[in-house]
Amino acid sequence: MRDLRHSIDLHKRTFLTLGLILVFFWSLLSVEWGTNLFHSGGGVTILQIAYGFFHPDLSPEILNLAITSSWTTLTYAVAGMTIAILIAFVFGIMASGVISAGKMTTLFSMSFFRGLLGFMRAIHELIWAWLFVAAIGLSPFAAILALAIPYGGTLGRIFADIINDVPKEPIEALKSSGASKLQALFYGYLPLAMGDMISYAMYRFECAIRSSAIMSFVGLGGLGYQIHLSLADLEYDEVWTFMFFLIGLVVIIDLWSNLLRKRLVE
Amino acid sequence: MQAKKILELREISKNFGKMSALSSLSFSIKKGETVALVGPSGAGKTTLLNILANTVKPDKGSLLIDGIPSYKYTTGKQLSRKIGIIRQQFDLVGQLPVIHNVLAGRLGEWGFFKSLLSLILPQDKELAIKSLDRVGIPNKIYEKTSNLSGGEQQRVALARLLVQNPEIILADEPVSSLDPSRAEDILSMLIKLVKEENQTLIASLHSVEYAKRFFTRIIGLREGKICFDLPVEKITDADLFTLYNLEELK
Repeated sequence: MRDLRHSIDLHKRTFLTLGLILVFFWSLLSVEWGTNLFHSGGGVTILQIAYGFFHPDLSPEILNLAITSSWTTLTYAVAGMTIAILIAFVFGIMASGVISAGKMTTLFSMSFFRGLLGFMRAIHELIWAWLFVAAIGLSPFAAILALAIPYGGTLGRIFADIINDVPKEPIEALKSSGASKLQALFYGYLPLAMGDMISYAMYRFECAIRSSAIMSFVGLGGLGYQIHLSLADLEYDEVWTFMFFLIGLVVIIDLWSNLLRKRLVE
Repeated sequence: MQAKKILELREISKNFGKMSALSSLSFSIKKGETVALVGPSGAGKTTLLNILANTVKPDKGSLLIDGIPSYKYTTGKQLSRKIGIIRQQFDLVGQLPVIHNVLAGRLGEWGFFKSLLSLILPQDKELAIKSLDRVGIPNKIYEKTSNLSGGEQQRVALARLLVQNPEIILADEPVSSLDPSRAEDILSMLIKLVKEENQTLIASLHSVEYAKRFFTRIIGLREGKICFDLPVEKITDADLFTLYNLEELK
C-alpha cells in the first residue's frame, strides 16, 4: 500500500501531463470540422499572402511611398520616445523616492508618482491615439502624445526600479563623505543606473517603432496606414513591401542598440 | 601635553531584537591614536563602528565626537568634517572615472551646482591629482574606476579620504577582500597617511598579525564586551587566546 502511494507521489507530474494531453484531444471533438472552418476564399487568400511574401511589390511608386511612410513612422517614434524619456526620467526619480527627505514625504512621493505612472501605462497607446485624434484631430501631435504617455509610464516605472536596485555600499560611502541626496543622485544613483536605463530605453524604442506603425491605423499616416490601405485593396504584395520596411527599421534599431550597449559596458 | 579625547563612549549598549550586540561599552580614544578592533565574528565590531560613524543609534549611553554629543551632528556635512569611512572595495562608483570618485570627498564642502559642474569640468582638480599622487596611482586619474584592480580601487578610496580630510577615520575590514601583499600595502599606506595628517584611525580587522604590526592600541571585543584594551606592546598571547577561544567564556 505504501509502495503504491510512493510511486503515485513520484509520478504525479507525469499523470498530470497525460491527463492534460487527453483533455486536449477531447477538446478537438468540439470543433466543427466542416467547410465552415475556413471562409470560402480562405485557402486562396493564404496562397496569395504567401505569394506576396516572395514577390513584394518593388515598383518605384510603392518603394517611394514605403520610404516616406517609414520616415513618418520613425519620426513619430523618435519624437514620442524623446518626450517619454524626459517624463520617465523626472517621474522615475520622484517615484524611486531617493531624493525626498523624511519618511512621510518619501512615501507620498513614491506612491503618488508610481500611481501616476501606472495610470499612464494602464491605457494602451491605441486608446490614447483615439482620444487625442478626437481631441486635436489627425495631427502628428496626436500620434506623438499618444506614444509618449504610455511609454513614459512604462519607462518611468522601470527607471524607478533600476534606481532602487543599485548597490547600497557606494551610496552609503557618498553620504558618509557628506553628499546631500541630490549630490548622491548625480554621483551615485545615476552613474550606477545609467547603463541599464539606456539599455532598457533602447529596447522600448524598438517597441515604439512597432506601436507607431500600428497607431497609424487610426489614420495618422505612416507604415501602418499604408499596410491598412493595401490590405483593404487585397494588394498583398504591397503589404509585404511595407512589412519588410517595418522589419528593416526594427532590425536597424536593434543593431544600433547593441553597438551602444557594447560601448557602455566597456 | 595630554592629547585631547576625540571620541568618548559612555556605557553604549545596542540590541538587535533580543540579541545584545554591544553591552555597556565605555572607552575613549585620543587624537592621533591608531586603534585596531579585533575579535571573533559577531563580536560587535561592525556595530561599534556604525555607532561611531553615527549611522546607527545606540539604545543606551552616549557618544561624544570631539567633545560634542553625537546627536548634535544633524547634517551629513557637519559629520563628514569629523568622520570619514572606508570599507571594502565596493565603496566606489565603478562607472565613474577615478577623478570623480576622488572628488566625491569634497561633496560635503561643495554646493549642489558646483558638484554638478564638476562632473563636466572637474573642480579642485589639483587636490585630486595631489591625492592620487600620494596614494601612488597618479596616472589613473581619468580611467574608469571599475577597470582598476582591487588594490588600486582601495587606493582610490584612500585618495577620496585624503580629499575629504576628516579628523577621524573609521575603517571596517578595509583589506579583507585583498590578498596578503596588497593588504599590507594598503594598511601601511593608510597608517602613513593618517600619521602625516595627524588623524585618528579606528579599524576593525580579522588579522591579529596586522593589528600588532601596524597599530598602537588594540581593543579586543567578544560578545559585545571589551575583552582587553591595551597598548600594542602589552598584548600577550594569553589575551589573544582568551579572545578567540570558543570554550573560555562559557
